[in-house]
Amino acid sequence: MSAVAAASFELARDSLQAHEPSARLSRLRRLGYQRYRHVRSQIDLFTLWEKRWFFIALIVGALLIVAPTPSGLTHEGQIVLAMSVMATILFITEPVPLPTVPLLIIVGQVALLGLDPTKVAQSLMTDSVLFIMGSLMLAVAIVKQRLDKRIAWWIVRMTGTNIYWISFGITAMCGALAAFIGEHTVAAMMLPVGVTIITLASNDPKNVRNIAAIVLFSISYGCSIAGVATPSGGARNAIIISYWKDFFYNPFDPATYRYLVDYVTWMQYAFPMFLLRLPIVTILLMATFKPETTDMSRSVARLRTQVMMEGPLKPSGWLTIAVFILTILGWIFLSEQLGLGIIALIGVCAFLVLGLVRWEDINSGVNWGVVLLYAAAISLGVEMKATGAAEWLAQSFLFVLAWMGAGTGAAFDLALSLLTIGVSNTMTAGAAIAVLGPIILKTAVVAKVDPIIAGFIAAISSAFGYLTPAAQPAFTIIYASGYLKGADFFKIGIKMMVVSVAILMLLASLYWPMLNH
Amino acid sequence: MRSLFKRTTLSDRQERAVQKTLKNLHAQRRNRFRVLACIDGSDDSFITVRFAARLAPNDDCDIIVLFVRPIDQGLWSGGLQLRLARQNMMDAGFELPGVRDLKKALAILKEEGIDPESWPREASQQDAWGDPAGDTKVEYRSPGGRTVVLKLKTAPDAANGILDQYELGPYNLMILGEPSRWRGEIQSWFDAGVVQQVALMAPCSVLVARKSLDKKGFFICTDGTSRSMQAVRRAAVLAYVAREPITLFSVATTEAGRPAAEEAVANAKALLKAMKIDVADTRTAVGNPAEEIIEASPMHLLVVVTDEGRSRLQRIFRGSTAIEVVRGARTSVLDVR
Repeated sequence: MSAVAAASFELARDSLQAHEPSARLSRLRRLGYQRYRHVRSQIDLFTLWEKRWFFIALIVGALLIVAPTPSGLTHEGQIVLAMSVMATILFITEPVPLPTVPLLIIVGQVALLGLDPTKVAQSLMTDSVLFIMGSLMLAVAIVKQRLDKRIAWWIVRMTGTNIYWISFGITAMCGALAAFIGEHTVAAMMLPVGVTIITLASNDPKNVRNIAAIVLFSISYGCSIAGVATPSGGARNAIIISYWKDFFYNPFDPATYRYLVDYVTWMQYAFPMFLLRLPIVTILLMATFKPETTDMSRSVARLRTQVMMEGPLKPSGWLTIAVFILTILGWIFLSEQLGLGIIALIGVCAFLVLGLVRWEDINSGVNWGVVLLYAAAISLGVEMKATGAAEWLAQSFLFVLAWMGAGTGAAFDLALSLLTIGVSNTMTAGAAIAVLGPIILKTAVVAKVDPIIAGFIAAISSAFGYLTPAAQPAFTIIYASGYLKGADFFKIGIKMMVVSVAILMLLASLYWPMLNH
Repeated sequence: MRSLFKRTTLSDRQERAVQKTLKNLHAQRRNRFRVLACIDGSDDSFITVRFAARLAPNDDCDIIVLFVRPIDQGLWSGGLQLRLARQNMMDAGFELPGVRDLKKALAILKEEGIDPESWPREASQQDAWGDPAGDTKVEYRSPGGRTVVLKLKTAPDAANGILDQYELGPYNLMILGEPSRWRGEIQSWFDAGVVQQVALMAPCSVLVARKSLDKKGFFICTDGTSRSMQAVRRAAVLAYVAREPITLFSVATTEAGRPAAEEAVANAKALLKAMKIDVADTRTAVGNPAEEIIEASPMHLLVVVTDEGRSRLQRIFRGSTAIEVVRGARTSVLDVR
C-alpha cells in the first residue's frame, strides 16, 4: 500500500504545502523570526502592553511626586517614597530587566532629589554590598570544585539507606552548608547529587516521582531554612545588618553599640530557627509526598561506586575546604574588625591566587545586576531615613496596625511577619527586605518595640516565601532540574509557611527577650 | 556613510553565495514532507510525536521533534546565574530537562516503527540568546534519505521558539499538543497561550493533537469553495498515505442551503474519485458550522478544516470557523493552510 501510495502521490507535492513565510518578512527572514518580532516589538502596541507596568510605575511615581505633600512629611521624603513605590512595582512585575531598576534609582537620586552625584556613588558601595558580592563570588568558586558526590557519600554513610534518614541527612547537610555560604550556592552544588540519587533509584522518573520530590525538596528546604541562620546565608541578612548600623549606630553613644550586630550575635538569634525546623522539614515532606519505596540501597551502592571511581580527594579539594573554613572562621572572629565584606573578598582572593577558580568562571557565574540592585536599594533605604520618609510611613503604618489591634506585642510581631511574607512571595527576599527594612525598623521605634527584634522578624520572615518556584533562589535552581511541578511547591509550601511563622512567633516572644544583647 | 545603513557586512559576492546556499537548501527541503512535532515535556505532549510518525510514514518524509527551553531569568536565582547549576548538572553527566524529553520522543518513534537510533547521526550546537547550552540539534539520516531531527531550542518563550523554527526550514505540517487555555480574539492580542499563538500565526498547516489516536478516519469538512476543495484534496492525500478512511462533511446554515451543502460533498467526492481515493462516507448537517462540526466529529482520528486566511482584525468582526473548531473540538484538528 505504501509503495502504491508513494507511486501515486508525493506528499511534499500533493499534500499539505510548506508555505514561504509572509513576504513582508523577506528581508529579515535570514535573521530569524524572533529578531523580526524583536524589531517589531520595539514599535508595536503589544510592547507597550508588555511594558505597561513600566509606564504605570512612571505615571504613579509622577502623580505621587506632584500630589500635595501630607503633613509631617517633607517634599524630599515624598519623592523618596514615590521612588520606592515605583521600584516596588518594577520589582514585582518585572516589565524591564531588573538591573534597570537600580540604575533608575541612582539616576532618580541625583535628578529628582538633587543629591551630589559623588555622594550617591559613595553611598552605593558599603560593606554589606561588598559582602553580597564576595559571597556570590565565593559561591561560584565552591560550586566549581565538584565536591557534591563526596558530600552525598558522607551523608549516606551517616544516615544509612532509609529514605527518611537520607532526607533528614540531606536537609541537615545542605542546611549546615547554606548557613555559611549562601543558599543558592548549596542548591546549585547539591542538585546533581539529588538527581544522582533519584536516577539511581529508578530509570523512569515517573516511578519515583515522590522520592524525587522528597530528595529535591530536602535540598531546597535545607538551604532555605538555614539561609537565615547566619549573616552569610543570604543577602537579606547583610542588608538588615547594614540598616541597623546606618539607622541606629552612633559612634559617640555606647548605648547604640548593640546595633552593630556581628556574626555570632546573629547566630544566637537566628540559628535556633534552623535547628527547630530541621526535623519538621523531613516530617512534612514524608507526610506530603509518600515515598514509593523506603529502601535506597540501590542508589547508595551505585553512588559509592561513583565516588570510589573518582579516587581520593585531590589537593585542590582539600585546599578549597581549608580556604572555605578559614573564611567562615574569619567571619566569626574578625568581622568586627574587618567587616563581613572584606573577609569574603579575602576568601575570593585566596581562591583566585591558589588557582582554584578562574576569573572567567566568576565573571560568568555571578549575576552582577543583583549586586547593583542591592547597592541601589540600600542607598535608597538610607535616603528614606535621611528625608524622614521612613518615619512618616512608620507612623502611618503603626496607626493602621493600632486600629487593627496589632499595635503592640505578639500581634505586632505577627503583623510584621505577615507583611514581609506577603511581599517576599512576590519578589526576591533581598529586594523585599531592602524595600521594607527602613519602614519596619522605624515602625518598631515608633511602636517602642526593639528594632533588633523587628529586624530579625523581617529578615527571617522574608525567607518564608515558599509558595512558588520563583520565590527563593534555591527553589528556582531545584525547579530547573525539571523533576518538580509548580504545584508541588504550593502543596508543601503552605504547610511549611504556617509552621515557620508559628516557630518564629515562639522564638520572638519566649527566646529572644532572654538574650541580653 | 553608506555602510552605516547597510544591513550586512558581507560583500555582495559573499551575500549572493549565502543566498544561493539558502535557496538550494530550501529547494531540497521543498521536495520533502517535513513535519514539526512540538513537545513540552508533559506526558500529553508526546502524542504529537505519535501523530508525526503516523502521518509521515514514508521515506520522503522528515520528522523534526522540537523542545523549546525558555531563557533563564537571572535574578530569580538570587545573584548566582542559573546556568552555573545547569553546567554543574551537565558536568555530572545529567541532561537538561529537554534532552530527556527528546530521548523519550526517540523511544516513542521506535514504538511507532521508526528506529532512528540505528541510522548514522550528526550533532551540532550553537549559542543562542547568550545561553551556553544554546540550541542543540541531533540529526539522524536513514539510508533511504529520511531524516529525524531532535532539536532543543532556546527562546524567549515557547511560541516564539516554534515560529522561529519555521523560519529555519519551512514545514508542511506543525503538530502541537492540546491547548491548556484559549483566549478570545481581542484578549489573544495581549495574552495568548502557546498553542493559540502558534496556531494563529503559523504560515503552514497546523495539527492540534488531542487524545484521539485510538480512533479512525479523517473527518474532512468542506464548504464548496475552491479554497476548501484544495484543502480537501491535500488532506485526502495525507489520509490516503496514512491509510485512514475519509468522511466528507458539509454544513448548511439554513435548511434552504442543504442542497448546496450536499452538492459540495458530492463535488469533493468526485474530485477524490478522480484522484482514485475512496471516500468511506459523506454527511451533511444544518446549523452553525463550527458547532455542527464539533458535534459530528468526536469519533474520528482528526477533523480537517480549511483556514479562511483571515487577519486578526477580520476574525474579530467575521469570526473563523476553522479557529472555533480548533478551539472547541473534542478530537484532533488539522487546520489546512
